[in-house]
Amino acid sequence: MGGKISTDLIRGHTVTIILNILRHGDSYGYDIYKQIIALSDQQYELKEATLYTAFRRMEKEGYITSYWGDETQGGRRKYYRITDEGEELYQQNREDWGFAKEILEKLIKGGFGHDKA
Amino acid sequence: MIRHKKDLDRKIQKYIDGLFSDVGESQELFDLKEELTTNIKEKVMDFKKRDMTEDEALKEAIISIGDLSGLVNDMRERGRDAAKKSVYSSMTARISAAGVIAGVLLVLFGMFVSAMLYFMKAIPGIAVAGPSIFIICGVILLTYSILIRETKKKFGMNKIRSGLYALSAGLILFSLYAGLTARLATGEMYVAISSSMIFVIVGIGLWLGLLLTGNDRKKSQ
Repeated sequence: MGGKISTDLIRGHTVTIILNILRHGDSYGYDIYKQIIALSDQQYELKEATLYTAFRRMEKEGYITSYWGDETQGGRRKYYRITDEGEELYQQNREDWGFAKEILEKLIKGGFGHDKA
Repeated sequence: MIRHKKDLDRKIQKYIDGLFSDVGESQELFDLKEELTTNIKEKVMDFKKRDMTEDEALKEAIISIGDLSGLVNDMRERGRDAAKKSVYSSMTARISAAGVIAGVLLVLFGMFVSAMLYFMKAIPGIAVAGPSIFIICGVILLTYSILIRETKKKFGMNKIRSGLYALSAGLILFSLYAGLTARLATGEMYVAISSSMIFVIVGIGLWLGLLLTGNDRKKSQ
């Protein structure tokens, strides 16, 4: 793990990250957690506590729905599914991210060409 | 091996129960506990594959979840709401049940006493009408108790509004009572009308006012 992502930076994107996972199929807490680690090439871990809090809020706001799996061994899993509203929010956030990334790149790295040694 | 698994279940259960120990019961809490238990267990199994002992794996799994205090607070608020709601509605249901019973008994009592006096030939008419005041009280109590009751299809009416409905029913009935007793006491019809008039007018006015202003208590679905 080289750098790190500050909590402040990731906070605004937790919902979008979860929605992105769920776009590829229904999933449950621990599996979503593992998928996020895998997607980041083991560079980033989103805490499960953050995930569970986000699930509850997202479900209340209608971006995801949940249902219980029918596992017979080891307890039932609670699966989450993205809704149409969730998909819409994902597309919007994705667009916003593209824009923000471009502008931030300019603001953080850019210059007017006269400060270089 | 099976005994072993049960042991892990119990340890996770104990941790989760401890975490939410001071949180009031609610359906959501019940569901969240099950969700957390399943996920923690799966994580422990994964850690064990990396040559950890079960206790180490459990400890590691719990630490790595992160700070659950936000979730606990959230659940605590839910539990409080649920408790308040059930106490409130069961109190109302109890008051309503008691009111219906007392109302029916009062009406019956009034009817029986009136009937009894009616058949005692020596008693004048005015005395026969007297006990019907119990019937009026009974109807007032019944009206109130039925309106505040929450049913499958309708929410209970609020208490002030129910009270006003009960009052208007009482006034209208009382006007009949006043008219009847005045007629029986004086034998004059105009006295009867004049004494019941004011109660009818106020009662009907109140009733119409209530009828025209209420909102829909029907439950959706």
